[in-house]
Amino acid sequence: MDMKHSTPAVIPDHQPSAIEKLVAFLDERVGLKEMQAKMLNEPIPGGSRWAYVFGSILLFIFAMQALTGVLLMFYYVPTADHAYDSTQFIIHDVDYGWFLLSYHFWGSSAMVVCVVAHMSQVFLWGAYKKPRELLWLVGLALFGIVITFGFTGYLLPWDQRAFWATTVGVEILDKTPVVGDFIARFLKGGPTPGQMTLSRFFVLHVMILPAALMALAGLHLFLFRVAAPAGPFTGSKEEIKAKTDYFFPRQIWKDMVGMAFVFAGTCVLALWEPVVLLDQAAPDPGDYHPEPEWYFLFYFQLLRLKIFSGEFGQFLGAVALPVIFMILLVALPFFDKDPERNIFKRPIALISWIAIMVVIVLFTVASVINREFLD
Amino acid sequence: MAEERESMSPTKIGFGILWPACWTAMVVKAVIAVLLLTMGLVHFEGRFGLAVIMLFISPVTVFAIPIIMALFGAHFGEGIGLEILFWLSIPVDIWALGLVARTFFLERLRKEPPDGLGLAIWWRSALIGAFFVPLLWWIVSFVTDNAITASHSMAEMEAFRHLTDTGLPVAERIGLELTIWGSISSAVLAALSLIGVSILGQIVRRMAEESRPAAGSYQGLITRWDLMRVPADQGLLLTSLAGVGVVCSLMFWTILPVTTPHPHECCKKPDVEAEQVFKPSQSLNSTAQRVASLTAQLDALEQQKSDKKNQKAKSKGKAGGKTTEDSPAKAKP
Repeated sequence: MDMKHSTPAVIPDHQPSAIEKLVAFLDERVGLKEMQAKMLNEPIPGGSRWAYVFGSILLFIFAMQALTGVLLMFYYVPTADHAYDSTQFIIHDVDYGWFLLSYHFWGSSAMVVCVVAHMSQVFLWGAYKKPRELLWLVGLALFGIVITFGFTGYLLPWDQRAFWATTVGVEILDKTPVVGDFIARFLKGGPTPGQMTLSRFFVLHVMILPAALMALAGLHLFLFRVAAPAGPFTGSKEEIKAKTDYFFPRQIWKDMVGMAFVFAGTCVLALWEPVVLLDQAAPDPGDYHPEPEWYFLFYFQLLRLKIFSGEFGQFLGAVALPVIFMILLVALPFFDKDPERNIFKRPIALISWIAIMVVIVLFTVASVINREFLD
Repeated sequence: MAEERESMSPTKIGFGILWPACWTAMVVKAVIAVLLLTMGLVHFEGRFGLAVIMLFISPVTVFAIPIIMALFGAHFGEGIGLEILFWLSIPVDIWALGLVARTFFLERLRKEPPDGLGLAIWWRSALIGAFFVPLLWWIVSFVTDNAITASHSMAEMEAFRHLTDTGLPVAERIGLELTIWGSISSAVLAALSLIGVSILGQIVRRMAEESRPAAGSYQGLITRWDLMRVPADQGLLLTSLAGVGVVCSLMFWTILPVTTPHPHECCKKPDVEAEQVFKPSQSLNSTAQRVASLTAQLDALEQQKSDKKNQKAKSKGKAGGKTTEDSPAKAKP
């Protein structure tokens, strides 16, 4: 549509307000109205849906993590001598510091949950298929970044939990053929986790990963706009056409409600279980049984199985299994070329997804039960 | 299409209303829960997940929870805030059920939604829940307890002892037991939940049968359905929502504890005694005084020592011709 023709008729007596003048000033220089139209007037086939809110929620969580992270950085000292004390200072002495840290902690969990929900939605909707292969690949890279965010952030409080989870994590990485030794040495910066490890994890967490995430999220959005939303996998053409709507206002409203829900949910978690530190990191675990963050517990429990013991077993569980899984995810849009998107007509996809979810839930619960045997 | 609508299963109808209504209401309930938690009126403690599920499906659990607590002694949390939360859930659920059911009637069932639909569905679902949810609780608890016992016995069977020297390894044993009792209790829970949803669906279907069919073209219906989901005065809604948001934010930051509200007993921050402030002049003065007193003590000791020496020398000189029996050392016992 020609923008000039759509401009409302000018009323001769109308004096533009200060805001109107500012908007006109910016529009003339940066094309504000055109940008706004492009961003908000994206048609959504079949109309707005709650299932589409996860992408926007992830952006919101990232913004909140960045905000709380910056506020925490005002007090946090990334040295082996002071990391623990400065975190204790944030929890006990800084005004609202306990809440900011707890929100940041639970926010990272919310991000992982929403990434998995977003990927599940795309997988079940068949939205990774042609022409959205690149979108799926960039999404997978973003998933990797979110997981790495959690891994690097976990060490920073420098308590026993942080130290030993990182030690176990780096040992698993060490088992990767060819590059494993280099990655482990690079991350640790020495024979055991220490100042170099903390510095490197801190730099990764606050500089490299946020930059990478912002760049890839931008690319993800660009590819999404180029490929256009996939829309629902069911419904007649008439129904989809009748319900097709623009991104603004209904989808934006849903996204905002979703964001409010996630914000409230994260606040509830922070108030229910505020962050508390264990003893300061030490090379002796003492009574503490090392275990990773809750979203890795299923995998940790999986590695406890007899089949994954011994040198070959460890390689199989710690390296081969996750690498094969990631390769399958990367290759998915290239070997699943069937245009059918309805999940109820894709039994292998549905059964695979259910099986993965059952394994995750089952082994996470098993890991919690396993704690009794360790104590 | 019309046949599909007529033959829609009660489970599909019940789920089609309950699922979106629960999510719609949960957003509002979550905001209320945050404020009550901030005030310290609710403590979910260990059964947080269960409490969240009960709150999520509050249209059916609102009357069932007190019954479960009374009959089975179950606890979902502590504090007066929990009761307030469930009381406040009632109007929220009525609103959410009404909103969802109206659109469902028009779009999926092609029926004119009757007045007071939200309240009509809410009291029926709450009443069914008051009977059905405690029954479900009892059956699932009973089945789970027995399934756990059975799975323990199975894992200790001789057949498994032959697998390894010491029986099943811990991780495998936990996995096996969990799979056995988890599958059984999940299957029972799912089956009973479906029955519950189906009962609700049958009630809704009966209400729909009594309603007038919706007139107009498909596009017209969709337009009505779409407008049903947004308020007539959108400006008023946005203004009031923004106002509520501001008030909630102010309340939140006003009542949020400045310091950590309940540090866990296991991980309390160690009490550190503050060091005394160092005052150089005072310290120097006290040190000088101490040095002076020590010097005086030293001088006194030196004096005492030299006095003793002199006394010894004198006594030696006096006793030059006397016998050793007269010496002071011998004289003393």
